[in-house]
Amino acid sequence: MTATTNPAGERGPQPCSRRPAWLTPGLLRDRTVLLLVLVVVLVVVVTVLDAVGLTSGRFTTDYLAAALIGYVPLALLALAELFVITSGRGGIDLSVGSMVSLTGVVFGMLFQQQGLPLVVSIVLAVAFGALLGAVNGVITAYFGFPALITTLATYYAYRSIALVISDQKPISGPEISEFYGAAKSVELPLIGHLVPLVPLGVFTFLLPVAVLAWFVLNRTTYGRKLYAIGTNDTAALWSGIETRRTRMLAYVTAGAVSGLVGVYTVAQFASARPDAGTSGSGMALPAITIAVLGGVAITGGIGRLSGILLSALLIVWLNASILLVVPGNEGAQAQLLALGVVLLGASLLSNATIRRRQAGGSGRREVPGSVSGTAT
Amino acid sequence: MTDTAEQARPTPGPGATPRLQMRDISKRYGGVRAIRHADLTVAPGTVHALVGENGAGKSTLIKILSGAEQADTGTIAIDGRVVTIGSTSDAIALGVQTVYQEPQLFAELTVAENFFVGREITRGPVVDWRAQAPRMLALLDTVGLDRGVAARPLGSLSIAQQQQVSIAKALLEQASILILDEPSAILTDAEIDVLFDVVRRLASEGVSIVYISHRLDELFRIADEVTIMRDGETVSSQPIGELTVREIAERMVGGAIAEGHRAPAEHGDVVLELDGLTLAGAFEDVSFELRAGEVLGLYGLVGAGAAEVGEVVYGMRRATGGRMRLVGSDRPVASPSDAKRRGVRMVPANRSTQGSFSFQSIAFNITIGSLGLLGRLPAWVSPPTERRIADDLIRRLAVKTPSARQPLAAMSGGNAQKVVLARQLVERPELLVLAEPTQGVDVGAKEEIHRIVADLAAAGTAVLVVTTDLAEVQRIADRILVFRAGRVARELPPTASQAELLAAAAGAEDEPVRQEEDR
Amino acid sequence: MTVTDARAPEEVSLRRILPPVVTGQEVVLLAVLAVLWVLLGIFTPAFLTAGSIGPLLVQVAPIALIGVGMTFVIITAGIDVSVAGMIMVCAVVTARTLVGADVPAVVAVALAVALGAVLGSVNGLLIAYGRVHPIIITFGTANVFTWLGLRVFDSSTVNNIPGTLSFLGRGAAGSTLGVPHSFALTLVAVAVAWWFLRYTRAGRNLYAIGGNQNAARLAGIKVQPRLVSVYLVTGALAGLAACMIIATGTSTLDQSVGAGKELQVIAAVVIGGTSILGGRGSVVGTLLGALLVQTVVSGVTQLGWPTQLGFLFVGVFILVAVGTDLIRERARRRA
Repeated sequence: MTATTNPAGERGPQPCSRRPAWLTPGLLRDRTVLLLVLVVVLVVVVTVLDAVGLTSGRFTTDYLAAALIGYVPLALLALAELFVITSGRGGIDLSVGSMVSLTGVVFGMLFQQQGLPLVVSIVLAVAFGALLGAVNGVITAYFGFPALITTLATYYAYRSIALVISDQKPISGPEISEFYGAAKSVELPLIGHLVPLVPLGVFTFLLPVAVLAWFVLNRTTYGRKLYAIGTNDTAALWSGIETRRTRMLAYVTAGAVSGLVGVYTVAQFASARPDAGTSGSGMALPAITIAVLGGVAITGGIGRLSGILLSALLIVWLNASILLVVPGNEGAQAQLLALGVVLLGASLLSNATIRRRQAGGSGRREVPGSVSGTAT
Repeated sequence: MTDTAEQARPTPGPGATPRLQMRDISKRYGGVRAIRHADLTVAPGTVHALVGENGAGKSTLIKILSGAEQADTGTIAIDGRVVTIGSTSDAIALGVQTVYQEPQLFAELTVAENFFVGREITRGPVVDWRAQAPRMLALLDTVGLDRGVAARPLGSLSIAQQQQVSIAKALLEQASILILDEPSAILTDAEIDVLFDVVRRLASEGVSIVYISHRLDELFRIADEVTIMRDGETVSSQPIGELTVREIAERMVGGAIAEGHRAPAEHGDVVLELDGLTLAGAFEDVSFELRAGEVLGLYGLVGAGAAEVGEVVYGMRRATGGRMRLVGSDRPVASPSDAKRRGVRMVPANRSTQGSFSFQSIAFNITIGSLGLLGRLPAWVSPPTERRIADDLIRRLAVKTPSARQPLAAMSGGNAQKVVLARQLVERPELLVLAEPTQGVDVGAKEEIHRIVADLAAAGTAVLVVTTDLAEVQRIADRILVFRAGRVARELPPTASQAELLAAAAGAEDEPVRQEEDR
Repeated sequence: MTVTDARAPEEVSLRRILPPVVTGQEVVLLAVLAVLWVLLGIFTPAFLTAGSIGPLLVQVAPIALIGVGMTFVIITAGIDVSVAGMIMVCAVVTARTLVGADVPAVVAVALAVALGAVLGSVNGLLIAYGRVHPIIITFGTANVFTWLGLRVFDSSTVNNIPGTLSFLGRGAAGSTLGVPHSFALTLVAVAVAWWFLRYTRAGRNLYAIGGNQNAARLAGIKVQPRLVSVYLVTGALAGLAACMIIATGTSTLDQSVGAGKELQVIAAVVIGGTSILGGRGSVVGTLLGALLVQTVVSGVTQLGWPTQLGFLFVGVFILVAVGTDLIRERARRRA
């Protein structure tokens, strides 16, 4: 009665293809490969433009390396969204920007005003971020609120607290000014003379977190549980997974990572700005956009770290390239257009290929959740 | 078989011409004959029961009548006129309405709106409630619902009331033939009384009703005539008063002999012991012992309460009364993860919603229930270990796949079911609960799954099989508890005939004693 | 079983076949709003004066107006996060037109509304026919719209906007008998939308689409055109709201116009009791939600507390409002 038979099964489990796998259009369906191709195409095109003199500045490796300073917070917050969105059931976190602001202010208070040691201040700020994330997690996973609602509420609440406790004034001082060094570019040891100067934050903030996150997602039982609840929450429960705790921890992770970004922004701006993560349209919307562009399915259960890192890299370098090709303010504006078009193009494209595959009957996807469309 | 077919004379009803006459209907799906030369004749204003085992061809016949499928051969006549039913809208235009088990209704809309959604009567852009309401309210009266429910959201009604709504909705268009597909499966006894009132009232108003049910006892309360199907053929058709539950059951299963059953074996210590276990609204006062190496079958129709027993044992639900002793401990099972820690594993009934991580790999699907084994350090996953475990189970269970990396979604039903089963066999469980282990699975895979279960029991696992599949329970169980209406109705050995099992599950209360004496 | 109706079936009272006129959530909101106003009236005597209420209503108007469209969208289980971008495009184009050509107010408003409708229909077409989740589509178009808006701004502010639209503003020209025109316009929109959602076929079908899109399609509802229409309406209302925003501002329009409005609108809608999962919601609730948000924000300021503290309360209100709704929903399901 309830059993679904898979049409693909009748034809045998192995779809036979005469062409080698790397030649099939399926290659571009893999988001990581698509993004990698786009990054390469971008670098080649701009290099050519540079060579024929169409750029306003020099498109060099130094330039690309320097652009990475904006890469760190973007990639980290997209990584936070990766955990939350992958946990499924409409998982999303609109409050990451507010958490950045609030933890940044708290860090500034601890480090500058209370005079705590740097490491202690960072640890406390990250722990505080985790606590903020835990509030999101408990309300969403245990009380059953839709994540969009929970994090919309805490977006307002955390942003408000950040502005109130700082009296809407940035916190700065000698210690914080010195901490600015954490974000500046450095020469790498040993091979430093061979490669361009890279912002220190890539090594002190992004790299450790990315490595840790890769291990958590791919080499720990928590990672398995996270993908399981995102793929099919009911089946995860039947498999004996504590779905609520697993889901809550995804929000805790997002909070802790946001806390770290909060510390990073203090270093980047040399002051703890209470609106660091919320000014303008805020940091949450770009982070979600990067995550989706990186192949994270909004319905949960699908998402890889490599996709996140590449999509953030694509956007950061695309933005940097646009500034060279389209000078001045127009360039800054064109970055928005590029982000929007790339996001729309990628999600519509991948949806179309999925549908064509479904129409061809060579493998039906059963995506949990009742959302009419999915982007992978 | 032939002599029963002889009896298949169309019984003339109150009117001269039958309301519905389906003759010599055949239908093939690919190489499989779903129905052969089936006949169904229904007189005006009568309730005609259509019964048969799963796969006997009932649903195909109904699909042909409701226009969802087209017959290969045969004729359909309504009120003596031969008709062509090429689509569901053809059927509706001819006055054939169907109420399915899972109606497509809108929980957030009011009852009134559910009637008219998509076919509203409008005046300009506005829904003309004054035009719609009288007919709808009259229909609520017809199905015995308070008119006050019209303004309530459908989701706030009980399941039985929602079903009444879907029956009423089916009557909105002119209905001369109403098909009810297992309407009583999810209802309580009191609710069934209401349903029967409705059905009788409709029949008295001249509607012909085709009533499909597995609960044979209730047919005697509601049906005028009964058509029995077996293996795609209509075996007999006659006034129901001429038959008993047992006779109907015998004709449904025919001369089917059990395909063999397990040889009696030595059993070990008691693994699971239930004493008066009760789950309000599902089952009550269930007691049994299950020993290591034993396969206990819980057989019952949908809604008989057997499925919920499995869920309580696995910690998905908490019992509301009675006692359960699991591997020597009285502590209630708090959750599936608690059950796992105590050596209990379960394969859930609905593979796609409860068992599949469809776009994850087979290896992921197999190891997700045993994450603790995947690495030397706690919470660690080592891909070689994962591959080894997955490959081992793929081999042991003969899962047909080129690689453990294939996504589960690319597999056939039987192979996918083996993967879901494999998830619970990474370590040999003390107690394995299997719910509908071979539903939607081809014959070959079914055989293999049954063999796997037998091997497990031989290795000392206690197995609890919850199933609505008669042949299956006979084949793999050492003992069978037959559930009916939330209680254990009978305990039978697998050597009992299928007719006997079916009669017990379907409620033959007239002949219970004989089997007791046999034991 | 049947409770026989004393009256003949022909005499049908609509009250017995339509959902209640006021939902529980709306009653609660109204009560909370009343309590807040009384408390604020006691603690800050200036609060309940016309000089205080008027500006509050003017500020509520654009949020509640877009909230009407957003309510439609969320009822269909969708969402639109591109509202801020649409406001920006409509505001800057209209402002530039007013500065460049001395067009009458009607033309300016029509231009803004038409432009908004075009932007909204881009969202709608991509969502209905591209079949990608609405949040992704509108994240994408939000960026594109913002780019468009900034291009028109051309990296400067729009200065010396004439007072053509002042009848929608907060000054004396903007109100009649103490009622701001913009708020009156919003009330009309809410009333029309309420009527539309409650009584028309198209309106009722939105609930069906949000409740179960597949079943709605099977029931014969034309799902895709309906989806396009709700995003189109949201865009058109964002265009009208942009006119209000121009009118209430100074003669200068800067690039921050619209920023953050999308979340404010969504907050008003969910506080108003519309389910983010679709299938349930009301525009009256949205209006009350918008009033509540603005009351809290204004009230906090008038009490002399830090302005930003108001948004902490907004966050708490969102959780409380949705929480009570969840509890009521669970109780209803259990019953």
